[in-house]
Amino acid sequence: MDRPRSDRKTGVDRRAFLRRTGLVAGAAGLEGILGARRAPAYAQGTKLHLLRWNDFVPACDEELRRQLGEAGRALGATVTLETINANDLQPRITAAVQSGTGPDIIMLLHNWPHLYEASLVDVSDLAEWQRKDQGGYYSQSEAAAKVGSRWVALPHSIVGVQMAYRKSWFDEVGQTTWPRTLEELRLVGLKLKKNGHPIGQTLAHTFGDAPTWAYPMLWNFGAAETDVTGRSVLDRKETVDSVRFMQAYWKDACDEGALAWDDTNNNRAFLAGEISATLNGASIFIAAKRGADKLKDEKGQPLWQDILHGPIPNGPAGSWAYHVAFSHGIMKYSKAPKLAKDFLRWLAAKEHFGRWFEAAGGFSVGANKYWEEHPMWAKLDDAMKIYRTAARVSRMFGYAGPPSAKATEVYSKYVIVDMYAKAVQGMSAADAVAWAAGELRKIYG
Amino acid sequence: MVIERRWKKWVFFYVPLTLFLVGMLFPFYWMLITAIRPDAELYRSWRNVHNTPFWTLHPTLDHVQDLLARTMFPRWLWNTFFIATVSTGISLFCGLLAGYALARLKFPMAGTLGTAIFVTYLVPPTLLFIPLANIIRNFQLGDTPWALILTYPTFLIPFCTWLLMGYFKTIPKELEECARVDGATRFGAMARIIFPIAVPGILSAGIFAFTLSWNEFIYALVFISSPERKTVPVGVVSELIRGDIYFWGQLMAGALLGSVPVALVYSFFVEYYVAGLTGSVKG
Amino acid sequence: MAKHPRSLVPTVGAAPPIEVALPRPRPAAPWRLTRFLESERLLAALLLAPAVVLLALFIAYPFVMGVWLALSDASVGSPGTFVGLRNFVKEWNDSIFQTAFQNTFFYTFWATIFKLTLGMWLALLLNRQFRGMRLVRASMLLPFIVPTVLSTFAWRWMVDPTFSVVNWLLYSIGLITNKLPFLSDGRWAMWCAIVVNTWRGMPFFAITLLAGLQTISPDLHEAASLDGANSWQRFWKVTWPLLKPVTIVVVVFSVIQTFADFQLIYVLTGGGPANSTHLLATYAYQIGVATGLLGEGAAISLFMFPVLFVVVWFQLRYLRRLEGA
Repeated sequence: MDRPRSDRKTGVDRRAFLRRTGLVAGAAGLEGILGARRAPAYAQGTKLHLLRWNDFVPACDEELRRQLGEAGRALGATVTLETINANDLQPRITAAVQSGTGPDIIMLLHNWPHLYEASLVDVSDLAEWQRKDQGGYYSQSEAAAKVGSRWVALPHSIVGVQMAYRKSWFDEVGQTTWPRTLEELRLVGLKLKKNGHPIGQTLAHTFGDAPTWAYPMLWNFGAAETDVTGRSVLDRKETVDSVRFMQAYWKDACDEGALAWDDTNNNRAFLAGEISATLNGASIFIAAKRGADKLKDEKGQPLWQDILHGPIPNGPAGSWAYHVAFSHGIMKYSKAPKLAKDFLRWLAAKEHFGRWFEAAGGFSVGANKYWEEHPMWAKLDDAMKIYRTAARVSRMFGYAGPPSAKATEVYSKYVIVDMYAKAVQGMSAADAVAWAAGELRKIYG
Repeated sequence: MVIERRWKKWVFFYVPLTLFLVGMLFPFYWMLITAIRPDAELYRSWRNVHNTPFWTLHPTLDHVQDLLARTMFPRWLWNTFFIATVSTGISLFCGLLAGYALARLKFPMAGTLGTAIFVTYLVPPTLLFIPLANIIRNFQLGDTPWALILTYPTFLIPFCTWLLMGYFKTIPKELEECARVDGATRFGAMARIIFPIAVPGILSAGIFAFTLSWNEFIYALVFISSPERKTVPVGVVSELIRGDIYFWGQLMAGALLGSVPVALVYSFFVEYYVAGLTGSVKG
Repeated sequence: MAKHPRSLVPTVGAAPPIEVALPRPRPAAPWRLTRFLESERLLAALLLAPAVVLLALFIAYPFVMGVWLALSDASVGSPGTFVGLRNFVKEWNDSIFQTAFQNTFFYTFWATIFKLTLGMWLALLLNRQFRGMRLVRASMLLPFIVPTVLSTFAWRWMVDPTFSVVNWLLYSIGLITNKLPFLSDGRWAMWCAIVVNTWRGMPFFAITLLAGLQTISPDLHEAASLDGANSWQRFWKVTWPLLKPVTIVVVVFSVIQTFADFQLIYVLTGGGPANSTHLLATYAYQIGVATGLLGEGAAISLFMFPVLFVVVWFQLRYLRRLEGA
């Protein structure tokens, strides 16, 4: 079909015009956008972005924010702190690594440095410096951040994990000291639960309170994920015993709602007087003390005076704990690795870390024994003193094998936690162990 | 009209409608009451029958103030609005043109292409997530609103295209043909005759797309890292759950305030929205 | 763009050169562009270009890369090597995957059933004239417009394991003595998720079906009731057949969204307790994004695609048949 034809001449002009303006404008716009994006990225590394969790002790984040300003002035840089939920840290790291943009320094929990090794800057020089400055690291920190002979993250602190309990409620059922064995704990828990004060222990997919209970459960019964060569040895009688104990303990002593708890639920439940004991960092005690005017026990006394801490009691094979190592990793995509190192060194210096350490009030301890001698410990309440040397007895994920990315994978998939969770929900102990052993064989080979 | 008895109207209309209203709106009431409840009343035993969980005698605006003054909430609101508007604009533009082409023009592979666009809607975001991160790296878009503005259309365009395609099909071809007889070009007829008629359809597609981008969480969570660039859902969740403390009051205030803009858009356009959908579902 | 002086073009088909000299409201488009636009194929190509380019760049290309990831052992920070179908085989035999796979069907099936029946009911109620109609219609949409993550937090707080208001209510009126395990029992948690999904998705059903209802002429109903049909019969004989196409469109969209749902489970249960509420999307996220096993995560996501494809294909075929008939 023919259409009315328009003017050829104007048409050409117009077309040329369109092409020139439209395309050029388009291209310029695109370039402008890309350019604007590039400019800050390639600027002389004067900006640092630090990603950490939302600290369970808010005073720590406040102190850190204050220090960032100070560090910025000292290093001639702007340091920004972003804090997010600990459970969202791993997804953020993956996205940051894959997209090649994001925070320059990321806080790493547990043995994550092994998992992200390929994306982390070697900080062996920093670690050597800190070792000379403050003495050797706890084995937990070293296992977490050292891959082979290289340090891929700088150990920062360790969060000690103990069981917080209500002294008066334990007294009520005739238990005046902290139970020495797990079996004693179960029997006390049985009475406490009858009184309406069960023990709270999460077995959900949550970064801290679930694995810090589940792994020691293995170890205290003499079970382990792997042998010293790193081969999976979970499918043993000891593991089944441990799972059987957990089933009984759960039924007799625990709040069944806890299967859905994340790391924060037990804090709330404890402070609201719903549970008598729970495995946690010191944040419950610290929060109770901070809110002493509001948080009271049933007699109207400040709640914190009724809180004590005890270690996970002995199993047949002893008493082990898993204390959570924290370290800082510098990302390889960072445009300012040198500045990032300077900053980490600044942050780890005795006078700076010391103040942050004091703000933590015992919730986080140092990565080495140097901090056990800090004068702060003398000023703390008796209930907190147990945390001073806690980090000494701790095993790492993947025990008894060497720390490895595979152990991190087992942790991230919550295999060990789920083994117990399945068992307390009705699966037989043998089946739960067989399931977990199968998962572990797929990972460890 | 069909006439019905009074009791029947109660049993079959008022009672169910009221139940629906209560069921649909109770969570909002719960958000509201949590937002104005003082913190001290939050954690109380579920066994204490003397509690009053459904109201509070000491309402407080502290949480709202705290949300507005001590977090970057207004900033997040603006970010979300900006991102949602631009990505909706882009998607509407693409969807409008593509929807018209698929509904009206004859060209080879029209059916295949239509299906292909629809199929893109089926690709799970969890699969795209990592490759998109790589693309964002290549374009240097990390931690900018453009990372989201350019990824949101991936799920908005298929929807807009399909909704508008349905709508265009309901507009009589004769209208266009009349215009063509009067000398309008195909493009002219499309732009001047058909698009104006399609306004209700465009509006409902736009509203829907806007809601979807307002609501998006997973891309926003991982592609944006600076606190001042976050969107409402991500900002509220990541900044108001601090360590062991859920700032329930602020969270709920954020949820309410964060949906006000969309609610306003809806309340203005709900009739258009229905009308627009009516058009496109006829097809 | 290409505006023609209508009054001056007497017949279509002629190409009067004289037109050039005449005044016109605005500069005309070049003839080539005009002719270009008159060709249906070219116009179609031009109109489709923006959508196709964006979708190709941000879906097709990532999709191909995603498939490649699924065939590799890539993990975070390492590009990985080709391993064939190993990831798929591994996942297929993985017990958590199997749970997530079944959960996804269970969740999608029941949530869709509820959304459809309740949404239909609500649409029928809203299709009447009553006072405050606009307000009620607008407020019914509220669950749909609050960001899912935030409204799910409200639900999570309502069914909190320790402080649930629902438990309080049931306990106060003496119906229970022990807490109901809303989120701490796998089965309960799954049903909670279905309830929340229904709550959130129902308005979309209701409003779209309402739109469909409004296209049905009231005369039909009146005719039917004159024939002595009661309201139940009127629904099945008059309303439902006419509403079927709309219903299928809504169901298609809802199935797609529910099957790939992520946010709701992520906030409400995180997949727990003990993986009992994991859906394919949340499990893929946990493996691929949280654990950093990109290859395995991509493989899990890919399992969703053919399933969705088949479901949607059947639905659309059915729809075409309806339309054809």
